[in-house]
Parts: sequence; C-alpha cells; structure tokens
Amino acid sequence: MKILLLQSQPLEKVIAEAVSCLARGGLLIYPTETTYGIGVDATNQRAVNALLTYKKRREGKPLSIAVFDMNMAEKFVDLNQAARNIYASFLPGPVTVVSKGKHVVVTGVESENGSLGIRIPAYDLVLQIVKAFGKPITATSANASYKKRPYCLEDIMQFLSPRQKSLIDLVIDAGELPHNEPSTVIDTTLDDVEVLRQGKLTVSEKNIITSNTESETQELGKKLVLKYKNLLTYKALVFCLVGEMGAGKTQFCKGIANGLGIKDTVISPTFILSRNYPFEAEGKKTELIHIDTWRLFSSQEFLELGFSTMIDNCRVIVIEWADRVAETLKQYNDEAKLIWVKFSYGKKENDRIIECGDQLLEEKA
Amino acid sequence: MNILAIDTSCDDTSAAVVKDNVVLSNVISSQTQLHKEWGGVVPIIAKRAHQERIDAVISKALQLGKVPLHAIDVIAITYGPGLAIALEVGVKKAKELAIQLHKPLIAVNHMEGHLYSTFAQTRGKKSIEPQFPLLSLLVSGNHTELVLMKEHGKFEILGATLDDAVGEAFDKVARLLGLGYPGGAVLAQYAKQGNPTAYPLTVPLQQRKDLDFSYSGIKAAMMRLVKHITKDGEKSLSRKEISDFAASFQKVAIQHLIERTKRALQMVEVKSLVVGGGVSANVVLRSELRKLCRSYKIPVYVPTKKELCMDNAAMIGVAAWYKAQRKDFVKDISRLERDPRASIDTQIIT
Repeated sequence: MKILLLQSQPLEKVIAEAVSCLARGGLLIYPTETTYGIGVDATNQRAVNALLTYKKRREGKPLSIAVFDMNMAEKFVDLNQAARNIYASFLPGPVTVVSKGKHVVVTGVESENGSLGIRIPAYDLVLQIVKAFGKPITATSANASYKKRPYCLEDIMQFLSPRQKSLIDLVIDAGELPHNEPSTVIDTTLDDVEVLRQGKLTVSEKNIITSNTESETQELGKKLVLKYKNLLTYKALVFCLVGEMGAGKTQFCKGIANGLGIKDTVISPTFILSRNYPFEAEGKKTELIHIDTWRLFSSQEFLELGFSTMIDNCRVIVIEWADRVAETLKQYNDEAKLIWVKFSYGKKENDRIIECGDQLLEEKA
Repeated sequence: MNILAIDTSCDDTSAAVVKDNVVLSNVISSQTQLHKEWGGVVPIIAKRAHQERIDAVISKALQLGKVPLHAIDVIAITYGPGLAIALEVGVKKAKELAIQLHKPLIAVNHMEGHLYSTFAQTRGKKSIEPQFPLLSLLVSGNHTELVLMKEHGKFEILGATLDDAVGEAFDKVARLLGLGYPGGAVLAQYAKQGNPTAYPLTVPLQQRKDLDFSYSGIKAAMMRLVKHITKDGEKSLSRKEISDFAASFQKVAIQHLIERTKRALQMVEVKSLVVGGGVSANVVLRSELRKLCRSYKIPVYVPTKKELCMDNAAMIGVAAWYKAQRKDFVKDISRLERDPRASIDTQIIT
C-alpha cells in the first residue's frame, strides 16, 4: 500500500499514479465531497472481485460508479426524464442516481435486477482521475461493510484486517474530510416500470359516466359494488382501477366501502401497500382489501401480498393502478369477478370520466 | 434496563438496543449502516425480505449497541399498525426471543413509537422529559394525525387524514415532477429555489371546523396544472417550473398542517408540541411550527436525528421503556398477534 499526501504532491503526479493503479486493476482509496471512497476499474472483473473481497460484501449487493459527466453516464445506464432532471439539478454533487443499467460493467457492479447507481462527485480530483482514466470507477465508501463512515484514514485502517490492508494499492490522503453525510440515493427506475401509457387504455362495454363531484364518484362505487355483491358467496370481487393521480380512485373505493356497510374512513394505501376493512356479508365475516400497486416493482411483489389467498377467500378487492399488474390479473378472470374501471380528467376542474367494463383493452389508434 | 426493540411495520426491517431512553444502536435495513450504497432503497416489501434480513439486523443492533443477547432485559415489538405480512415476521421473532430468553415482552403501537421518538436520548444530546398534556403532530408516509396525550399511555386522536398522508403527497408530487422515488426530500430541495406563489393552490378544508386533513385535492390540482404546462406531456418541465411547482406545493402542504395544528392549539391547552414521523425532518415545517408555537408560548420538540424521524426500532424501544415503568408487559406471549389496523387510541389487551 502506497500513501500519497495530496497537499505535498503535484496534482498531475497524483492523477497519473491513480490512473496507473486503476489500469493495473488495483484498489484506490480517494477523497470525495462526502466520505473516502474506494475505486477500482468497474469494467475489470478481477478488480471488482478484489473490491468485493475487501468490502466483505455479500454477493448481490450492488456498487455504484463514479463517472465524469452525463454523457459518460449514458454509456452505462439508460436515463429517463426523471434521471435527466436530477442530473441537471444536482450533479456533480452528493447524490447517487439509480437507473436501469446497460450491462456494460462487470458482474457484481449492477444490482441483481440490473439497476446501477451513478455518482458524479463534486470533487475535482476524482473527476480528473475518471476523465484521465476514461473508464468508470466504483464509488463505494472505503470502510469495510458495517464499519464507521470514513472521514479520515484512521477511520478506515483501524477496522481492517491485515488481509484487507494488503488488498489496497494506493491511498490519496487529503487529511480529515468535512463530516458531510453520505450521498443521497434517488431511484429513477420506478418510472421505467412498463405501464401502458395512460389514455391509450380503454375498457370493454362502454358504460361511460361523467362525475362532477367527489360524492358522485363515491356514489358510483357504491352502486357498482351493490350490483355485484350477490356474487360474493362463491367468487371474489376484484375492482381493477385505472387512472391518473388524483382522478378519484380512492374516492371510488370509499363508495365501495360505504356500499358494504363499512364505517371506517378509507384512506390511501399507497405507503402501506394494502389495507383491510372487515365487514359482514350474508352473515359471514369477510374483508374489503384495498391495494395500491403504485410503489410496487413487479407482479411478483403484488402476488406476495397474498393475492391468491384473497381470491380463494371471496374477498372484495380494490386495486389502484391495476394496469401495472394487468397481465397477472387477467389470469384470475375465471376464478374471480374482475371489474375494470377507468378514470380520466374531464373538461372542468372537478369533472371525471369514469368507464366500467369486464376487460381492459388497448385502444386502437 | 436494556431493551431490544424490533419494528417490521412496512418496508424496513429495524432493530435497536436502548438502555432506558438512551439509544445505543438503531439499525434500519435501508440505511447506510447495513449496506453502504443503495441496495435497501428498492422497496422490497415482501415478507421474505423481512425474513431474510431480520436475524442480521438484530445481530447488528446488538453488536453496535455493545450489548450481548444475554444482557437484554426486555424485548419490545411493534404489533401494528402496518402491513400484515410484514408485521407478522417481527412479531414472530420477538415472541421466539422472549420465550427463549425468558424475558418479558412489550407490545408497542407504531404511532406511539413515532410520538416517543422525540424523547429518545442520543449521544451528546440532553434528554427531554414529556410535559403533559402535550399535543403531537405525527406526519409520515402513512399517517397524518393530531394526537392529544394527557399522560403516558393515554392518547386521543383529535384529527387524521381523510385520504392521503402528507408524506405520501410529497412523494407522489415529486414523482409527478419527475424527481424519482422517494422524492419528498428532493422536492424540498427544489422548493428552496422556487417561487412559492407561482402556481395557485388552495389550502384544503379551510371551511371545516374539525381537525382532519386532506391531501388528495392538492394532488389532483397539481396534476391538472402540470398537465396544462406540459401540454399533456408533450413538453417537459423546465428546471424553473419544477422548482416553482415544488415550492408552491410545499407551501400549501405545510400551511395545511400549520392551520390544523393552530386550530388544535386553540381548542386544547397543552404544555408542549411534539412532532414525529418522516415529514418532521422537513426544515420549513420545523420553522413554521416554531413560529406558531412561539405565539402560544409552548416549546416544540422534534426528533434529534433523521433516523428517529423515519420508521425505526429505537423509538419503539423508548416507548417500551416508559411502558416497562408502568409494568405494561404482554401477559400471555403466545397470544400476542399483529394488528395491521391498530390505532394509537385503542391500546391492546393481552
């Protein structure tokens, strides 16, 4: 391990030594605007393996990478609008932006689901090293996993085993760094979830109603659940709600609850994913289950909420953003009664257009 | 008294060791202590995820707290409210530990935990003792509640949200503005640079004389405005527009909290205001609440660390310590069950 004191060396020499260390596949400890980081060539499998040994990291936990600018980032990840906004406003800076990876980096750098975190540190030395090196370097903190945040070399070294120390090739020592928090992580991949574009969807059987107030939307929910309630003895009722934010999906569910005689206030299940409201039907205790898929990544996560059991037990299930799990829901078409309800904004502020039907179809252009 | 506390109410698996009201460790699965980068931010909500993490999180909490398992005196667990499949993983683990170690078990309401998070003592900070009666504003991704607390264990919900929670509104609007998820904190950053009166938004429920909250109206209004500016998604928002939207939204969202809190302070006489939950980390909210309480000459207490604002087990441990002093232990451990719909004003009997 070689230690270069940043203050007492010419900058060009520090950069040249760092680049040569990285090119050899070595481990480099470097200062950033947050903590000390540890970098290896993110396109060199041997180097990344050595880093994982150093971090004693369980496999599957992703690393993030430092790049020079947004153009360089685009070689490694797909940037959507959310990501571009954040790059424009916060980078370079203490923010890690997670996007869908392009699988250019070696195994162990991207997460298991293929996403990759990008850092553009607001620290000129690091940017210059990355620029001179021409490849991304890992931007993980330099401490061993679970240990103290590294703001000076002592923070790092005191917890390292001789074996770990032997893995480090070069250290750029900038003394004690200001105790800034580690970078904030922003995940932009959620906006990539394959959602059929709103507005291109429609439902079969054109039952179109215009609601002018929240209470009219509630009233419609109530009417609809009463229409199908008799099916509950042998089938689950699944209301699949589709429509933009604020279009009245939760209001509609309030109406359903009211129709079932539920007294509790129905509130948004977004954060908690699923809320249950007990009620009685035909003298039998059952439940209304209100699910929101807005935060879910995959149909798998949706199923893990216990959807099959809910179907088996003849529950009333209301699913917000149901288009996100449409393919999964369609598989239950025979076992349960699926009712698709689409909400869209009308001309006036409180106008909502509500369509109901048995199926969700893609509108023909 | 050494308390090992566990919370698995939603996304995060958390375990903490507290000695009385002093936090010795507070491990949260999505936080940097566990994985250094960003592995935990992905909302892995599955029951399996909690099952996979819980043992490691508990060991980590014991290790960082420097308290071995045999030196633990009490186990504390969140029984609700929360997501059923998540809660049951923690409850099962806590019951096993209590039985295995022959230690008493304390069941804590998650919202009671948020309320007590302010009374957690962290290294180098002075401890605050609750002064009763107190008013608590609990603001998170899942809750927006005003709670009156007359003494330990006695809570009355004065008002709650009728639709969305304030933290949820922040995250949803952030995503609408293209700021990723969870973007509430990012939105607050943009708001600093924006003009808070750029877009007309109305503070909700101003005509209603009760203490309830509503955020779905602001959300829908934001949606309409953004659609209008972007010509229904044809063009993207400029940085200035994003900042102005963020500032306008934040102003109204916080104004609503302030107006309802003010109304509560007019209705009940209290000795202090206690704020808890993720949104209590918002600096604009903190400063507005201080301003409000200055005119009522009462102190405002907020959690001293960000970790204590979010869902965490240390707050459960601190709430448990107060319960332990009243000997409020679970009587029949085998019969304790998770209660996803638990409310702070109806305490469980076990």
